[in-house]
Amino acid sequence: MMRFIRPRLRKPVGIALAGTVYAAAWLVHGGNGWLWAIVTEVGVIAFAISTYVRGGRDSDEDALAGSRGDERQQLIAQRSWALAGKVTMFAAFAGVTIAVAAGASSWWPFAVTFGVTGFGYLLGLSNYGVGEEVPADDANDGPQMRSLVSH
Amino acid sequence: VSRQTVISIEGSRYLPSLPLAFVIARFFDMTVDKIFDPADEEAGT
Repeated sequence: MMRFIRPRLRKPVGIALAGTVYAAAWLVHGGNGWLWAIVTEVGVIAFAISTYVRGGRDSDEDALAGSRGDERQQLIAQRSWALAGKVTMFAAFAGVTIAVAAGASSWWPFAVTFGVTGFGYLLGLSNYGVGEEVPADDANDGPQMRSLVSH
Repeated sequence: VSRQTVISIEGSRYLPSLPLAFVIARFFDMTVDKIFDPADEEAGT
């Protein structure tokens, strides 16, 4: 769906949509939730606008914000996401370990985060062909890694 | 390719992918091994 949107608008639109869904959750929450919904929506719209403005500037981060990163900048983004995944795994593991040791009843959100992140890693391994054992003669027939460069 | 990436390639901080290396070589009307020679990198040239 995002391919139909201009590259520079993709991230701002994604941020605005995600933020609006989160604001709607506060509305559904009831009570004083409408106040948080308004605060969230205003903050998210401001963040989306700043992301759009950044998308036109000249740096690695701004090129990624504008969805116009070249292969090196996309590699930086991939490494950053990989680091984020590792940090999430470590934090979830530390959280579940401490919660269990402390006898807290809220250990399961950490376990779910740990499990989902681990599942995402396994999904990546299967998706990008690490587990594929393609015979040398048939190497050209199987799925191949795609270059970051698109022509 | 961004200005930052060109600077990184010139400073030997980033090795481009093969498709990009061929595009660069074609642009300068040279061969890839003339531009991206590992021996040059080791010699610091």
